[in-house]
Amino acid sequence: MANLSQAINVSAPVKKLKSKNSFGYVIGRVLLYLLLIFAAFICLFPFYWMISTSLMTLGETINKKFIPEIPQWVNYADAWKQAKFGKYFMNSVLITLGTLAGLLFTSILAGYAFGRIDFKGKNLVFALFLATMMIPESVTIIPNLLMIRGNILPLPGGSWLNTYWALTVPFMANAFSIFLLKQFFSQVPKELWDAARIDGCDHMRFLIQVVLPISKAPIMTILLFGFTGAWNAFTWPLLVTTKDVWRPLMVGLWGFVNEAGPETHLLMAGAVITLLPILVIYFLTQKQFTQGIATTGLKG
Amino acid sequence: MTEEIVEVMVNPEKKKGSLKALYLKEQLTGYLFVLPAFIIVFVFGLFPIGYSVYMSLFNWQVTKGKFVGADNYLKIFGDWRSLILLVVGIGLVIFGFWVWRNAFKNQKHGAIISKIVSLVIILVGLIFFSTSWRLMSEGGTLIKAGWLAREGAGPIIAKGNKDFLNSLMVTLYYALGTVPAEIIIGMVIAYILYQGIKGKEIFRMIFFLPYVTPAVTTAVVFQIIFSNRPTSIANTVVGLLGMDPLRWRFEPKPVTTLLGMNLTGFWSGPSLALVTIILFGIWTYIGYNTVIFLAGLGNVPKEVYEAAEMDGATRGDMFRHITVPMLSPVTFYLTLVAFIGTFKAFNHIYVMRTPSAQDSVITTSLMIWDRFYKANQYSIATSQAIVLFLVILGLTFAQNKLMGERVFYG
Repeated sequence: MANLSQAINVSAPVKKLKSKNSFGYVIGRVLLYLLLIFAAFICLFPFYWMISTSLMTLGETINKKFIPEIPQWVNYADAWKQAKFGKYFMNSVLITLGTLAGLLFTSILAGYAFGRIDFKGKNLVFALFLATMMIPESVTIIPNLLMIRGNILPLPGGSWLNTYWALTVPFMANAFSIFLLKQFFSQVPKELWDAARIDGCDHMRFLIQVVLPISKAPIMTILLFGFTGAWNAFTWPLLVTTKDVWRPLMVGLWGFVNEAGPETHLLMAGAVITLLPILVIYFLTQKQFTQGIATTGLKG
Repeated sequence: MTEEIVEVMVNPEKKKGSLKALYLKEQLTGYLFVLPAFIIVFVFGLFPIGYSVYMSLFNWQVTKGKFVGADNYLKIFGDWRSLILLVVGIGLVIFGFWVWRNAFKNQKHGAIISKIVSLVIILVGLIFFSTSWRLMSEGGTLIKAGWLAREGAGPIIAKGNKDFLNSLMVTLYYALGTVPAEIIIGMVIAYILYQGIKGKEIFRMIFFLPYVTPAVTTAVVFQIIFSNRPTSIANTVVGLLGMDPLRWRFEPKPVTTLLGMNLTGFWSGPSLALVTIILFGIWTYIGYNTVIFLAGLGNVPKEVYEAAEMDGATRGDMFRHITVPMLSPVTFYLTLVAFIGTFKAFNHIYVMRTPSAQDSVITTSLMIWDRFYKANQYSIATSQAIVLFLVILGLTFAQNKLMGERVFYG
């Protein structure tokens, strides 16, 4: 036995050294990097093209230049004005913030209850929640539109068409976020709860003072997914907004596609504008988000 | 609550009542915590399913009309006889698979015979299926559909909604075109990144970018990259390969026809316009799969690889015999999510579709949207949506059965 472990200890590093210096190993590494760079190029090219076109003159877009000679920053101002992005941008920001606030509130409470409280019918309710992940929007969208119009139930204020509520309330809870938080919350050691209970803590205080401070990663993860979901929403806003009052940026961009026509440089400037907030949020939450995926049940 | 506990400790005879109060309080807290989420999920996620079924039983165009029973569903399938044929066909295929499975289990006793039997059953099922499909999309008699040999016999069967059936086929093309590619490429990239690559975080960040950015925005960019102008980026690349410019998003012809093959029906494959949309789909989702696979790879114990390396396994061997089976739960989950996702896909198809690509890019979710948004035929749209939902349920179930058994849980 001792001999065996000695043999392993000795042979392993030798083998590694040999393989790391060999010609084949180096070639393999180079190939791997080339492959990755190629894949990264494919991923980034549309973004590069979008940005470079957004800085061109109309003539340059027609002649299919790859790089603008002098960056035309004025395109952004033109697109902003021409597409009424000022209004739409503000709308999108408010809609996203409202949705996120509601989403965090409902999913933290529900995630905690599913993860840490035993109540009757818990598994059934949770299964119902999960089932909604399989339902295509095509099934729910028509009744939801009738609901928002006030055709099914009387709503406060009659119809919710063109209101802030129509754009936020339906997205203030989703099964995915609850599932993610439930997975994380149920891993919090039971001893912590026992200790807190002896100190006179109830569930609400335990959640706020103990659980939430250690749940930064999963909360950032649902924030990122919630943000992209709300910011990128397209079909539902298209349905429930008929006027500019609450029309969000994506619907505005879609209108601009038909309006800008051949003025590709302006269209691309508009496209970059819709992208910027997402990029900021993405780079800010990047680290916690990766951690969030690794520590929750998201990976199956 | 502290007082209650203290009291229980001090006065044991009061224990029963207090414990019950504690229990009730716990129950109540649970319900209260779940309530806000439940209201929203119920009103906007669960209730609409029932209401859709209800709507589909009426002649409903913007406002409720006459009760029509199952008529809207019959309009999809044409005739109950073709529907029976379809159901029997699917049933036979499933039964055939079941027989095949059991043949594997008792290999000693006539394994070959039961395999042959199962193949025959599956074949018959497929014939039933394709016959009913043709009947539903074209109508006519059984003979016209290539069923039975004698002429002039058999009742005339009304055709169903050809456009809807076509949209299901387009959706299937889209699913088969995107899901395997994005899963395999995602897994390979994750495995490469896992080999101690420098700048792994940066690569991962780049690959995930298409997933977080708005589909409407990126689809608008793809729209221009894949335009039919001879100077578009896609045509420039094609030109470098020495080919003539293509019409991309505007091309309703199947790719096989463009390649000079002469196939018809299902086997002619997706149109070039749909392939363009498939490319977009793959581009968007590879990064997501890579990130999840990477998280899964982190869970594979390092010792397994070290042991294999000691036994002289190459990197390829290790990928095939360790990584792939160890990742199977992740693969299963991702495939399921991706498959359901393709049936829900909407935004980028909506943005990238062109009138000249005709119905070759109209997936079922777009079809339903057009019925409802453009034509205001609410009940037709809801009945189609319910059928789509049943198809998703069926496919998910089948995938669970087929793939679920091969999943290896550590």
